[in-house]
Amino acid sequence: MRVPTSERALAYVILIALAALVLIPVLFGSITAFKPQIIWVSSPPTWIFEPTLENFEFVFIQRKGWQYLRNSLIISSGSVIIALLLGVPAAYAFARFRFRGSKALMQWLISLRMIPPIVVGLPFYAMFLFLERGLNIGLRDTYPGLIITYQTFLLPLVIWMMRGYFVELPAAMEESAMVEGYTRLGALLRVVLPVVWPGIVATAILNFIFAWNEFFLALILSGNRTSTLPMSAGTYIVRTRVEWGNLFAVNLIIMVPVIVLTIILRRQLVKGLTFGILE
Amino acid sequence: MKVVLNDLVKNFANSERAAVNRINLVIDDGELAVLLGPSGCGKTTTLRMIAGLEQPDSGRITIADRDITDLAPKDRRVAMVFQNFSMYPTMNVYDNIAFPLHAIKMDRKAIDQTVREMARLVNIDHLLERGVRQVSGGEAQRVALARAMVRRPEVFLMDEPLSNLDAKLRVQLRTEIKRLHQDTGTTFIFVTHDQEEAMTLGDKIIVMNQGDIQQVGTPHEVFFAPRNAFVANFVGTPSMNMLRGRARAGDDGGFRAELPGFELRLPDRFAAGLRRMRGDQVIWGIRPEAIRLVAAPAENTVTGEVELVEALGSRDLIFARVGEQLFGVIVDALESAQVGDTCHLHFDGAKMHLFNAETEDSLLQFSAAEPA
Amino acid sequence: MTATGATGRADQSFSTRLYRATQRYKHWFFIAPALLIILTVVIYPIIFSTGVSFFRVTFASQSRPFVGLQNFERMLTNDDFIESTFNTLYYVVFSVSGSFALGFGVALLIRRITVGKDLLRLILIIPITMAPIVVGLMWNWMLDPLFGLINWFLDLVNIPEQTFLAQAATARMTVVLVDIWQWYPLVFLIIEAGMATLPRAPYESARLEGVSSWMIFRRITLPLLRPVILVALLLRTVDAFRTFDLVRVMTDGGPALTTETLSLYLYRTAFTFNKLSRAAAGSILMLLVIGLISAVMFRYLFREVGDS
Repeated sequence: MRVPTSERALAYVILIALAALVLIPVLFGSITAFKPQIIWVSSPPTWIFEPTLENFEFVFIQRKGWQYLRNSLIISSGSVIIALLLGVPAAYAFARFRFRGSKALMQWLISLRMIPPIVVGLPFYAMFLFLERGLNIGLRDTYPGLIITYQTFLLPLVIWMMRGYFVELPAAMEESAMVEGYTRLGALLRVVLPVVWPGIVATAILNFIFAWNEFFLALILSGNRTSTLPMSAGTYIVRTRVEWGNLFAVNLIIMVPVIVLTIILRRQLVKGLTFGILE
Repeated sequence: MKVVLNDLVKNFANSERAAVNRINLVIDDGELAVLLGPSGCGKTTTLRMIAGLEQPDSGRITIADRDITDLAPKDRRVAMVFQNFSMYPTMNVYDNIAFPLHAIKMDRKAIDQTVREMARLVNIDHLLERGVRQVSGGEAQRVALARAMVRRPEVFLMDEPLSNLDAKLRVQLRTEIKRLHQDTGTTFIFVTHDQEEAMTLGDKIIVMNQGDIQQVGTPHEVFFAPRNAFVANFVGTPSMNMLRGRARAGDDGGFRAELPGFELRLPDRFAAGLRRMRGDQVIWGIRPEAIRLVAAPAENTVTGEVELVEALGSRDLIFARVGEQLFGVIVDALESAQVGDTCHLHFDGAKMHLFNAETEDSLLQFSAAEPA
Repeated sequence: MTATGATGRADQSFSTRLYRATQRYKHWFFIAPALLIILTVVIYPIIFSTGVSFFRVTFASQSRPFVGLQNFERMLTNDDFIESTFNTLYYVVFSVSGSFALGFGVALLIRRITVGKDLLRLILIIPITMAPIVVGLMWNWMLDPLFGLINWFLDLVNIPEQTFLAQAATARMTVVLVDIWQWYPLVFLIIEAGMATLPRAPYESARLEGVSSWMIFRRITLPLLRPVILVALLLRTVDAFRTFDLVRVMTDGGPALTTETLSLYLYRTAFTFNKLSRAAAGSILMLLVIGLISAVMFRYLFREVGDS
């Protein structure tokens, strides 16, 4: 597209201003994580200081940061792995087989994107409570409890994203392997899976980000043992004041992995965010 | 090995018409059979049922008298080459050819020997280390051929393997498939919608339309003696000139055809069929190659005007208008005509075709024993 | 051969029938496990909520009397419910239109630049990758009346410091602006992806015919982008409608419930006031409304897609 120079200059000005509006709070907040406690807050803001890691040290050691990080990692990767194990085969079936109701079932799966978390969270809280009291099955504040609940938003997303990747492959690929001496499952594992592997990685990353950032269900269903990093951020807000340096240390720990993953994933991002409706 | 299809039926859920409509077919050991028909005629579904990739609703399939109808594809001892897939993209050429051998747990040395032998057979032994991006479309399809042969299947199935290649490669690979068939002596079943490909390749051609087998025969039989109007029209390019009209008994005991704008004497070989036919509506046809341009009107000659001339190389395709009807005529380029010329078209009685307009079946008498 | 073909189905052995059954129903082997879990985690909660909403249930109560539609009635006549619904609608209208305008604008602008395009795009989509709770806390800090960057900046131009989040007049719009800050990249990414798929031919012929760029945009770009625009609007509407995290950390519904959204109100009804069945009734109402909105947009969307 040929664009007049003035128009292009204007575009640059606006976009760079917007980028500044994005970056300033993120960067300016983040540097607080490296400030010593006495200058966490100051007016006018302190720009020049000697960076310290004491906030991270405090967050990790005094406030069980390792535990939150471990919980977040276990819950996020656990629910992504479960979602992939269940969702990838289902996605394959939706991509390959036409059966009665398959189209309606798929549309129903997209519509799950619309369900408000409160509709799911409330009954789960009640169910976990009743299971605990009635049958002595403890799911509240456990990894399996959260991992199962997270399937509400992860599983439909995995199915939708992976279906897109399978549809792009010719069915003849696994059919060829089936004629050449393999079962359908063997063909899938040896031929199809290596080809869609990049798609599986992209799906896993995006789902990991969603699970990693999740707050609402964790708020309702986790407890002392399973609190995640986003949950722990709240603990730095004490009634009258906020421990800003420590809080931004936690924020950084939540943010940095996601930004790194986003950079890796940027080409596949839209597919996941739009939930495959855009096809 | 001999392949027998017995009362094979396949319906798809989303279609009212049967994809394959109770077909019976025998393909003899070592034959190269071609399933020919327009898209949606059921030829690919038939092939996929033989491979086990589709399950027939009813009917049986046997290979060498072994009933394979309910066997998984991998247990049928068949191999298949596909139209839109040739190489597993995550493996190089060598691993592609070795892939079917790993399924039967062959030892490494034997695999190596077999792979190299097959690669030589299809002239890709210099490409063994190449990946899918480093081979051309034609080379990739040779890899598919080698991979299909490597387990020495009893039947070779090919689903339009050449239609994604450019014209020159297609002709070249066609010859190689023919040679491969001669060298291995295996039964080949080849699916195509390209009647020229069918003609050049097949020992036997099975013409299909709308889930039914229209005719089974040698290339010559389907070309020169089509059993019905569909086969006559589908086989041969440019296609046969066909006209609807009425047949009536002439004064001399023979039959005459009243066609739009002119009348013809019909050869006697149609007489028996015409006498047995109910009604008198017929479809008369003649191939462009069977029409000759003559200097003066005579019996079975009509006069028209040249409307269009297409050069085909050594020959020309002329379109001549006779009344409402446009006739395609193939003539030697040296004896061609000019647009606007008046011409006399002579129809050789020996090369005429005649079909019952209602059933579209040929009015020639075929022996009853031959399967329809 | 005579034995197999002619007698048909009668002679099919057990293994034959087993093979046929596994072939016919093979898709269920792949789908059933996932479907089972989805039914558990989605259908069960909806059934549970619907059921509970007809009784009076708290997390502690032993007796659970049937009360019919009383919970729904109480909900629909409750001032706080009505106010939080109104707040949610306010939130939806401004957040959706704001993020849509900004996202669409960015998508149009970024097509006009060349150098640094990838880097800019990467920076511009950072907000969407951040956890809403992190975004909220970060902006709390930016907006802090004593030492926040915003007030420091206002101070530089001699405007007295503002307590944006503590005043009823500004709190709502402030939260909406932060929501726009976080979610405009979603619109931007969707519209940009949609623009990448536009055919070239109509543009070339329009330019040959000397059509102005504004008319090209209105008559060609917008109609072609309609399905994409609908997707962006649908996703944004649904997300704005169920917002919880951001409001929870920024204002927690205050001041004086001016920022209380439906999700927040239902959460409080259930967990602070221990009125499980009433919250369930509310969440069913919320599901119905959101279902209605998305059904209408969905139908519109699929009709659009079907047309093109």
